[in-house]
Amino acid sequence: MDSFSSPSSGSSSSQFSTEDFMDQLKTQLAQAYAEEFLETVRGKCFEKCITKPGSSLSGSESSCISRCVERYIEATGIISRAMFSASR
Amino acid sequence: MDASSLNSAELQRLISQEKERAMVNEMVAKLTSACWDKCITGTPGSKFSSSESTCLANCAQRYMDMSIIIMKRFQSMQ
Repeated sequence: MDSFSSPSSGSSSSQFSTEDFMDQLKTQLAQAYAEEFLETVRGKCFEKCITKPGSSLSGSESSCISRCVERYIEATGIISRAMFSASR
Repeated sequence: MDASSLNSAELQRLISQEKERAMVNEMVAKLTSACWDKCITGTPGSKFSSSESTCLANCAQRYMDMSIIIMKRFQSMQ
């Protein structure tokens, strides 16, 4: 990967430190998680809100989509709380 | 990448930490998807009804109970 071959730490050090490596790893992982989450939300909300695709997106469809996105984010929070705090 | 510049013990620790985080993330995503399908049957409203949010929380906890049962069942087969 290109970003790994050129350290971002500047010209002072040509060595690629563990810290730099982990920073890049974390950034890329966060990006991957976000992309995957987005893809899931697209799938779920398309299923719920675009039941009969028309010639254009209706107002009720687009408000359904924004509600759906909010609810899906909320659901993710409910699930992770249920998994970690309320379990035995 | 120059591998010798990486402190391998520290790197291993950080990587296994990230691995664990990735597993947790995946679990939350998977459960959210499954429980959303089970609990949110109508069009999403501007607020979850109390039955919807209770269903989501129960769904996650029952999934974990189930996982434990399945794990025990498989362990007893050995």
